[in-house]
Amino acid sequence: MAKRKKSNKKKRPIAVTVIAVAIVVLFLIRLYQVFEPLIRNNVFSIGITSPLLTGWKLTILGSAILSSAIYLILSVVGIVVLIGFLRLRPWSWVLLMAWTGVSLIISLVDYLYLRANFAVMASNVIIAFALNITDVQLIYGIRRDDASSL
Amino acid sequence: MPPVSDRPTAPLTASDLKLLRKFEPVVCYTKGEQFFPTAIEHYISECSLWVHHPDGRDELLVKQGELNLEKLIETRPAEFGSVRYLRFIEPLSLTESAQVLANQLLLRRKLGEYFLAGIGRLARGGILPRLLDGLFSLSFLLRGKVSAATAAAAELDYHEMFTEDKTYPYYGRVTRQNGWVILQYWFFFCFNSWRSGFHGVNDHESDWEMVTIYLYEDDGQLVPEWAAYASHDFKGDDLRRRWDDDGELQKVDGSHPVVFAGAGSHASYFRRGEYQAEVNPSLPGWFSGLLHAWNKLWTGPLGQPVINTFHIPFVDFARGDGLRIGPGGSNPWSPVLIDESTPWVGYYRGLWGLFARDPISGENAPAGPMYNRDGSSRGSWYDPLGFAGLDKVAPPPQMEKMLSDNCEKVSRRQEELEKLIPGKAGELQAIGARQKGMEGHPHLAKLYSALEKEINTLSAEVRNLRREYSENTALLQGLTRRLDRLKAGGQDDPRSHIHHLAVPDDPSRVLRFDRAAETWAAISLSLLMFAIAALIFFAPKYIWAGLVIILILFVVAESFLRGAFVQTVGRITLILAMLSALILFLQFWKWIIATTLVAMGISLMYQRLRELTG
Repeated sequence: MAKRKKSNKKKRPIAVTVIAVAIVVLFLIRLYQVFEPLIRNNVFSIGITSPLLTGWKLTILGSAILSSAIYLILSVVGIVVLIGFLRLRPWSWVLLMAWTGVSLIISLVDYLYLRANFAVMASNVIIAFALNITDVQLIYGIRRDDASSL
Repeated sequence: MPPVSDRPTAPLTASDLKLLRKFEPVVCYTKGEQFFPTAIEHYISECSLWVHHPDGRDELLVKQGELNLEKLIETRPAEFGSVRYLRFIEPLSLTESAQVLANQLLLRRKLGEYFLAGIGRLARGGILPRLLDGLFSLSFLLRGKVSAATAAAAELDYHEMFTEDKTYPYYGRVTRQNGWVILQYWFFFCFNSWRSGFHGVNDHESDWEMVTIYLYEDDGQLVPEWAAYASHDFKGDDLRRRWDDDGELQKVDGSHPVVFAGAGSHASYFRRGEYQAEVNPSLPGWFSGLLHAWNKLWTGPLGQPVINTFHIPFVDFARGDGLRIGPGGSNPWSPVLIDESTPWVGYYRGLWGLFARDPISGENAPAGPMYNRDGSSRGSWYDPLGFAGLDKVAPPPQMEKMLSDNCEKVSRRQEELEKLIPGKAGELQAIGARQKGMEGHPHLAKLYSALEKEINTLSAEVRNLRREYSENTALLQGLTRRLDRLKAGGQDDPRSHIHHLAVPDDPSRVLRFDRAAETWAAISLSLLMFAIAALIFFAPKYIWAGLVIILILFVVAESFLRGAFVQTVGRITLILAMLSALILFLQFWKWIIATTLVAMGISLMYQRLRELTG
């Protein structure tokens, strides 16, 4: 009977997959937020035809391009974090937790003063709780054993 | 571990004074300490005697310069609620205050002994404890307190007194209880300058501190077994160390325990170092309940470590790098014997310094060795064994006999049970057989039911006896094992009785950005206030969100400096996630409940159908 080879690879907890899915969902939402202002301002059909700034103030087109750029950066960071996360890199846990924290603050401010994006909020909540699971923290080397803290 | 035979001994017939001298401690103070043990006669001659009446009046009983020990203990009738107290420093005018503060600076420069806090207490706690610390400092505006000028004047007066009388007295008491010979060393100080001199919790005129040594008799000799030091935040068992615990109890010449006194507070520690003395402010009941529930959620389902956020960190500096008093050095003790019959000990129940009218007593002077501030008897005086949790501990030679007696008693009971259980069990079986014979005979129903009750009672009795036998077997095993170990000369772990060990801060612990962290700790609270003020002025519309964001930014900056970034970011995100989850639930509760019910229904149906289909 052939011996089964023992794998040295760390087993990925289900929570990691859940987080990865949540990151993908967030990536898609962010991607939509990249293109939506550009489409709204017909940038793809007529290009940048008006100025972006009037004095020191952004024009409507200017703020649309700025917000697209910010969301593009967030999307790219999201993908980088996702790759690091799936490769079980400790830095990706820290970056993702910090990123989720910032994202939650933005969501809460939006909820209090503007229009809340509940899909983003829910995805962030799932990620935050999943990152806090002991198994996840152990696999990323954030927690050394069950008894020790972060 | 050195054997008991290596310990110093004193003959049983030795006088009390000789016993005290044989085991008197060596006290090491911190560099910069301003007050050392002083003779009470000298102090009293510098004081005036007052009474504070319940209506708020303060009445002078004896003027400064006229007070002595005889006048101190004179019987004077007083109404309920009055407080008698000494006053070391008379009230100072503004000019006098400025003068004494300037003279204090000159004196310190002349003595050349400065205290340097190092990594200050503020940098050792987080931002929230610092916020509480700010409130604690502000509380002095409402509470009575000893002024900085009073502390300065006390320092100057003490220096003058010390120049006239360069002795270091202790007040020794020898008492005997339950087979123990107890040596108490009481030290009197003119002033406690913990707050004004060393960034501590409180200042007060006069201070009493105490060290106790517990001896037992063995072959006509007295052998030391325990030493207990009075200290903040600790009580009972935690106060004492066993004589052979060399890691905790250092000794000079084998017979003089070393005490490291806290700077300004004079609290006693077994090990040299800097101790975090935490003050937990009293919180309203509903808030404590809320906090308890939160902690339960935080440590339970969320699996986070316990954090005591609502405390104020204070450091007690017991560095032991200053003056050293006691045997083996150039500053010997001058012992004075005291007991209940010593007039000033037994008859003066008042405070030994200013009654600052502080409702939480931190700034009021203490009473003498025998009494509490309210005039009731002090536990450490009338129950020195209970004070250090020794009331339940027998001296070692008696311990063996007590164990042996216990073993014998339990063995005797076991023998009794060995006879009793088979008898009762047999009786139970006989009744059971009789009851069985009644089955199928309806006319015996009444008798059957009576027997049923008897069987139940007897069955419970047999079960209890068997349980007792089983428990006694385990107890006997433990007792015998311990007895054998003692007979073989073995001892228990010297620290097994300690619940909370006082551990000094690790001296090698350096904050990530040492100087930066220190500076940040000093200015962060003010910066926070400036930021909030700016927010109120520039963006009043976003006040609440702004407050939360500013607080989070401060906490993150703090954590970065303290090398706890990962931990802090994790905690903050978790709290934000909980808040967001609550908002989501409030927004979509119908959907959430309906989805949960549908999911549960599908899962249940799947399980049942699987059962049906095999």
